[in-house]
Amino acid sequence: MENVVEFTNVTKKFKDFSVKNIDLQVKQGFATGFIGANGAGKSTTIKMMMNLLRPDVGEIKLFGLDYMKHEKAIKERIGFVYDGNVYFEGLNLKDIKRIVAPAYKQWDDTLFYQYVEKFKLPLNKAMKTFSKGMQMKASLAIALSHHAELIIMDEPTAGLDPIFRRELLDLLQELMIDGNRTIFFSTHITTDLDRIADYIAFIQSGELVFNQSIHDVAENYALVKGGLDLLDRDTEKAFIHVHRASTGFEALTDNIKAVKNIFGDSVAIDHASLEDIMYYLKGGIHHV
Amino acid sequence: MFNLIRRDVILQKRQLLLFIPFIVFFIIMEANPALIFLVASLIIPFNTYVYDEKVETNILLNSLPYTRTEIIASRYLGAIIYMVLAIGVTSLTLFAFNKPFTMTDIAISCSLFLLFAAFTFPLFYIFKPGYIFPIIMISFLLLAGIGPTIMLFLAEHLTPITDFIFNLSVPALYTGATLGIMIVYVISWGITNIIYQRKAF
Repeated sequence: MENVVEFTNVTKKFKDFSVKNIDLQVKQGFATGFIGANGAGKSTTIKMMMNLLRPDVGEIKLFGLDYMKHEKAIKERIGFVYDGNVYFEGLNLKDIKRIVAPAYKQWDDTLFYQYVEKFKLPLNKAMKTFSKGMQMKASLAIALSHHAELIIMDEPTAGLDPIFRRELLDLLQELMIDGNRTIFFSTHITTDLDRIADYIAFIQSGELVFNQSIHDVAENYALVKGGLDLLDRDTEKAFIHVHRASTGFEALTDNIKAVKNIFGDSVAIDHASLEDIMYYLKGGIHHV
Repeated sequence: MFNLIRRDVILQKRQLLLFIPFIVFFIIMEANPALIFLVASLIIPFNTYVYDEKVETNILLNSLPYTRTEIIASRYLGAIIYMVLAIGVTSLTLFAFNKPFTMTDIAISCSLFLLFAAFTFPLFYIFKPGYIFPIIMISFLLLAGIGPTIMLFLAEHLTPITDFIFNLSVPALYTGATLGIMIVYVISWGITNIIYQRKAF
């Protein structure tokens, strides 16, 4: 399996924040969801992927190529969608296309107009009159019209209404039918991922906690519920984090086997949702 | 990279409709032809920075298949191209209004434009968005206001240099000035390029 994006030991420090030792691989032909709380380092990572930021340490390769030597070749193959509108807001879509299209060797006008029609986008209205959802659709239409192999999206679903969010996810799913295309998108809405992501990369406080297939995540993590009397210093070691309430405890584990060995049938083991995992991992991995 | 230069026209097509009325206004005000050429040259390259000082624009340009070197090159080459075009259009307008002008007017305005661009372009990438326009406006007014006085003062008090310049033959003076301005412009280009390479968006 080939990696479209490869981060090797990447570190970027800011005054009050840093992303540290990121080793991230994005596999070709799959959709990877990039999750993490606000301020966890998602946008920084995506900016480094786009070469808007350069890492202090480490190596970043896209399509096996280095930005130092192959910046244009790499960007030809990427379609990007950002959280906010980056297009000139006073211009209409037609003029924006006039500016963006000649930048790409593989720009496909027919395809662009197909998307414009599909998304019902007005060509002659200024971008600033577009709703958030329309701006997203316009960015997407531009990102998809040059046969990009890798689509990078920073929070594409943020601020969208539920109906359009589903439409967008369906559309991304459709795009994935073409087996060569890779999608990497960040989100903090975990339910987006269940629908389309094949892989989940989870970042927290600037560190990559895991990057696994959605299947593995489901298999590796579980939510355990039981009576408080079961907990003691030894048994707690099987958990990543324990939440105590008067009615009993709820805990996250990444070692289901150990939990089964220790507690047997005295606890209930449930599937842990991504949100559960994010919630319990908050504050770093530490065994209580 | 030519697309990056062409982009300025697409962005400013509405403002460009005001271009000729603007020149006509100056002509009616009986402004010096050199000043008219200068102002006309300034319009497009500096108007572009209204867009380019925004972070979003830089994110967009840097996400498209352009290198940072190309983005800066398009600024500096674009300024020259638009200067030439602006001078062409202005000459025609002056001609239409039957206003005389000389090659010296054009040469003076070109030199001033290139020097002004060379000094201000790097500033656009140093200062934060929003601060830069007041700075440019003030420096332009200052230069226009007290610049000549300073030059006269220097000319009177640094007589060896003045004598040296006056003793040069006219072709030597022109060649020297052209070379000097070109060197300043290229140095400015180099500096801006270094600044831009290091920028984070």
